[in-house]
Amino acid sequence: MADTELTQRGAWNKVIANLKKRSLWMLHYCTGCGAVELPPTMTSRFDMERFGIMPMVTPRQADILLITGYLSVKTLKRVILIYEQMVAPKYVVGFGSCTINGGMYWNSYSTIKSLDQYLPVELFLAGCMPRPEAIVTGFNALIDRIDRGEANSWEDYYKNYDFYHKNQLHAFGEIETHHDIKSDGRYFGIAEAQR
Amino acid sequence: MSGQSKTMDTDRPAAALGAARSAADLVVAIAADANVAGFSVKGPRRVEGRVDAASLHSFASALRTRVGFEHLSAISCVDWLADGQFELVYHFWSYRDNCLVSAHVRIARDSASMETITDLWQPASFFERDIHEMFGVTFQGNTDLEKYILTDWAGPPPMRKDFVSRDFAHDHFEFKDYEPSWDDLVTGGYHGSRGVAEGSNE
Repeated sequence: MADTELTQRGAWNKVIANLKKRSLWMLHYCTGCGAVELPPTMTSRFDMERFGIMPMVTPRQADILLITGYLSVKTLKRVILIYEQMVAPKYVVGFGSCTINGGMYWNSYSTIKSLDQYLPVELFLAGCMPRPEAIVTGFNALIDRIDRGEANSWEDYYKNYDFYHKNQLHAFGEIETHHDIKSDGRYFGIAEAQR
Repeated sequence: MSGQSKTMDTDRPAAALGAARSAADLVVAIAADANVAGFSVKGPRRVEGRVDAASLHSFASALRTRVGFEHLSAISCVDWLADGQFELVYHFWSYRDNCLVSAHVRIARDSASMETITDLWQPASFFERDIHEMFGVTFQGNTDLEKYILTDWAGPPPMRKDFVSRDFAHDHFEFKDYEPSWDDLVTGGYHGSRGVAEGSNE
């Protein structure tokens, strides 16, 4: 499969993917309780930096949006604003059970249950909470996907924006996002956004 | 404690009581000065009792100005569904006596309404706003009962006992059919029930 991929994507894309996978900036935006697992992941014991992953303070320069736990509807609004500011390629990592199906907040009236209803999720890390080993495994899986050129979930936001927008409207109504998704999609070269 | 309260006494105007104060003394003082009976001693620093909804404002005013309870710690609300009542609990704290007075007020659950005490304690506005949002109690005279935490909330007040959070969550949010295999989780192959981005990989 690797050989056919190489011919299809071209050697240059392979080089770019190889560079991309080792230079990932993770947006320092933490929701819920999962953020407590990140200091050990960042610091010397598990040392995220050896994979080329470092925290970044602004969404414009970040590649990874890590949703660390439950998202209230109110926080989701901010996350949408942040996500749309990020420049593609961008990878949403759903972290913990809460982002998958509500987790222990499954019967809460104020938290969303499935993150992929509102944002295209590249990778889910299961667990409550995922230990640093699981986070490292997840990031390695993400790196492998980027290397293989498969980490393209972000394109889905521009291809199927109607789906995500419908769910966002259902959750909190219309917000002013400062971003025209169609023109952003065209800028990122998404063919479906031309329509 | 006694030394500290003595120095504080010199800084403050004399209240209704003398130097020696206990919770039992305070109950007597409340009965005499705030003109409300039925308060009892719960502990060395705890006094508790019930107050009518109509007389709460005058009680709080007297408690503050005459007995020296100048701090409003909190207003909490309890929903007694079977009784058809809300119970508002006003917690007053005296720095001088180091004593907490809890005044329990029962109001009707239907079209629940209560007189505000924001003219006595401005911070009470936050408590009242919160209770208005979570329980639907209207505070007469409070001009700031806007949404507080649940800014986009359109449903009923969610802390009421007859609001079933689980049913609301199931009606309002979509759950996914989630049966992952460990292989999928490790290789990152899981994309949810919708099959996101299939065919996008060239």
